[in-house]
Amino acid sequence: MSTTEITSDSSDKPLLEVHQLAKAFGNLNVFDNLSFQMGPREVLGVIGPNGAGKTTLINVLSGQLAASSGTVLLDRDPISRLPFHARARKGMIRSFQHTNIFSEESVSENLSRAKRFSSSTHTDEDGARSLLDSFGLSDKLDHPAVDLPYGLQKMLGLVMVYITGPRVLLLDEPAAGLESRERILVDQFVETALDRLSCGILIVEHDMDMVRRLCPRLIVLDDGQILAEGDTADVLRRREVIEAYLGVTEEKTDAEG
Amino acid sequence: MMDHSVVVGFRRIMDRAGWLALALLGAMVFMPFLTSDPLAYSIGTQILIGASGALGVYVMLRMELLNFAIPGFMAVGGYAAAISASHGVTDIFALAAISFMLPGLLSIPVGAIVLRLKGVYFVLITYIFTEIVQLVLIETPSVTGGTDGLIGFPVLQAFGVQLTAYSSTFYVSLTLAALAFLVAIVTTRIFRQQFSSIAQNDVLAESFGLTLWRYKTIGFFVSSGVAGLAGFSLVNMLLIAHPLSFTATSAVNYIAYAFIGGTGYLLGPLLGSALLVSVTNALSFSGEYSEGFFGIVIMIAVLVARGGLAGALANLWGKLGPRRFRQDYPRPASKVSVKGAQ
Amino acid sequence: METVLSTVLIGVMLGAQYALLALGFTLIFGILGVVNFAHGSLYMLGGYLAYAAVAKAGVPYPAAVVFATLGTAALGYLFEVWILQRVVDDHLATLILTLGFSQVIITGVTMVFGHEAPRFTFPIVGNVAVGSLFIPQDKLIVFAISAVVICAVYWLVYRTGFGRAMRALSIDRAVAITLGMNARIIFPLTVALSAGLAGLTGSLITPILSLSPHAGESVLITAFVVVILGGLGSVAGATAAAFLVGIIEAFSGVYIGGSLGTLGLFVLVIAILMFRPSGLFGASMRGA
Repeated sequence: MSTTEITSDSSDKPLLEVHQLAKAFGNLNVFDNLSFQMGPREVLGVIGPNGAGKTTLINVLSGQLAASSGTVLLDRDPISRLPFHARARKGMIRSFQHTNIFSEESVSENLSRAKRFSSSTHTDEDGARSLLDSFGLSDKLDHPAVDLPYGLQKMLGLVMVYITGPRVLLLDEPAAGLESRERILVDQFVETALDRLSCGILIVEHDMDMVRRLCPRLIVLDDGQILAEGDTADVLRRREVIEAYLGVTEEKTDAEG
Repeated sequence: MMDHSVVVGFRRIMDRAGWLALALLGAMVFMPFLTSDPLAYSIGTQILIGASGALGVYVMLRMELLNFAIPGFMAVGGYAAAISASHGVTDIFALAAISFMLPGLLSIPVGAIVLRLKGVYFVLITYIFTEIVQLVLIETPSVTGGTDGLIGFPVLQAFGVQLTAYSSTFYVSLTLAALAFLVAIVTTRIFRQQFSSIAQNDVLAESFGLTLWRYKTIGFFVSSGVAGLAGFSLVNMLLIAHPLSFTATSAVNYIAYAFIGGTGYLLGPLLGSALLVSVTNALSFSGEYSEGFFGIVIMIAVLVARGGLAGALANLWGKLGPRRFRQDYPRPASKVSVKGAQ
Repeated sequence: METVLSTVLIGVMLGAQYALLALGFTLIFGILGVVNFAHGSLYMLGGYLAYAAVAKAGVPYPAAVVFATLGTAALGYLFEVWILQRVVDDHLATLILTLGFSQVIITGVTMVFGHEAPRFTFPIVGNVAVGSLFIPQDKLIVFAISAVVICAVYWLVYRTGFGRAMRALSIDRAVAITLGMNARIIFPLTVALSAGLAGLTGSLITPILSLSPHAGESVLITAFVVVILGGLGSVAGATAAAFLVGIIEAFSGVYIGGSLGTLGLFVLVIAILMFRPSGLFGASMRGA
């Protein structure tokens, strides 16, 4: 139940490959034997009850935390030994669950730093500009980022991540803290990123509606193991997933199925 | 729009503060026209040395790191200058190069250790570094003169000219301070984005790909080199290289100058040193009591005027100055991470 | 063999003193997040308060010790309430404040008592024979008191409601406050406790070692070393590290001599920090 490899149904070679990834803090085993793949222009959702290890997964994939064992390959390139900043330079970029900005700086300065620190050659300024428009940030470029409302700060964070020209995006609960009308903006972001950057996107989320909208494929983590994986609608119907996580009654799931 | 040279108007003030500091230093060249009182030169020299030490503190504070290693690196620079001078090197620029580079080079392996730490841990371990330097100085009398120190400092020369005038100590300190400020201005200007990102949110900066250790190392290198120049300056004034000039507690003085002057601006170290040294002299405090005075002053500054003198001036300029600079930007509370070790 | 044994004993007794010092220091850090640069000065002040009580007011030594402890505790309390509390979240600011506080204490003491070391001696002299070893009685008494106080502190921190509140505040202040722990009461009391411990240690040790306005400086650095080794904020860590440092210092003092031993200790601290940045017992820190 835990070590199945998921084959991507994309015909491109996998962009992100994870083999038997494990992470433990001393005696505390967060996850072990995680293996999965993701291709370009793919959106992979990762869901699971709290404590399942989802955020730790992002921390380990991004390099912020060292894995206990296992390998990570980015475009066939092994990056398991690379530190956090080096993986970012290779194009593995993560977003943060809580707002994360350079609070003393203006919006435009925040963006310029994100771009500069990635020293990426293929950044898409037009795409970033259109995102700023959609999010309502275009007229606030000189505003100090810390003065923006929470939702806009999060959206700024997304544009900053975008402008680094990522190849793989790890989004950590992008919807957390956003009002319902703001959540659509995340959809827009994902769409733009897929279209224009051809990146792969891994989304850790709790918002089931968003997961259903954006992720054709899902991994369900429970207690550090992959409980289920595959087609989203399919996975969400499975009993073990429902029992472990959704707490949705059987009638309701039938109605959705 | 994405051009990194687009700045909030307020930043211009900060950039100009550096050049203003250099201008002030340049103005000090004209001291002879104002006075020939030896006391004035003595106070001036003390101000310049204090400012140089405080400048070392300032550079690391750009990254929210409080560097207690300053007296340690001052010792390295000061003793290096003293030892070189006793071996015949008397050209001021050669000695300046030595007293900058030796601490700078030492800061690289030291930094490899201490720069892994942040916040409180960084403070404590740099404090220990300075204590280690003290012990090394005392335990190697054949090189450093031990508890006696190295007595005597030869007459220096610049461009082949012997500097024998009574005001030459002042001019040596002025030159060294100018060099220190120049290096600091250039460094903090070039790496402004990186340093301030490390200060505000180093995890975020790293998440985009910024190599933190590289910029921390650069800052530490410059901070240590500047401290070395200050050490040379001090030894030249005292005519002795002695361990007691470089105690860990003396770091408090330089930190006080930097804080009172204003930690947000390059002008701060100069203003703070000028104010505190002048007042200490004017009130004829003996060295012992000045500690308590400093203590009170820095406590008041922290509680009441967090931006220091330079901050107050910048606010004034922001309120009264040209429209495009009018943006009062108070510096938010320090994010020096207390519980983080790495 | 006898030298080894007596050295170990010296080390253990030193360790108890260091533990007393380090406990206060690490408590303030763990609970308030403040690095107390005035810790050494409070130690020194404790010594002077006890000295003043004995020499100027003719108070018997044990009472003087109590007086010193309460005096420094009260000073710590007031400092927290009037000054530190205003900026308690700004770590750079609190650091500067404690720095300034330390300077003020030193200058104050110098102004009242002068620069020179006063004559302040422990009232009980002589050695006690334990087996074939001779242990100075003063050090033995101090050790006994230290051990009792350390146990008392442990009891306070781990077995009382107050201690529970302190620990809750150190783990997660926001949550602790919503659960009803009152930081405004607990913070000053924590600082008072810490300052009192420093003052107690000072009043006990300075008559044995030495007393002068700058006696606190070496104490401060020892406190730094011990708490870094033990992990800032860890009470158990501070205690264990204190005894470790005490024993190392004892051995290096006996067998190496001079400040080389201290130097070696510093190098050891740095080596340990390189491999375990959170200290020997500090909680494992996240990588970023």
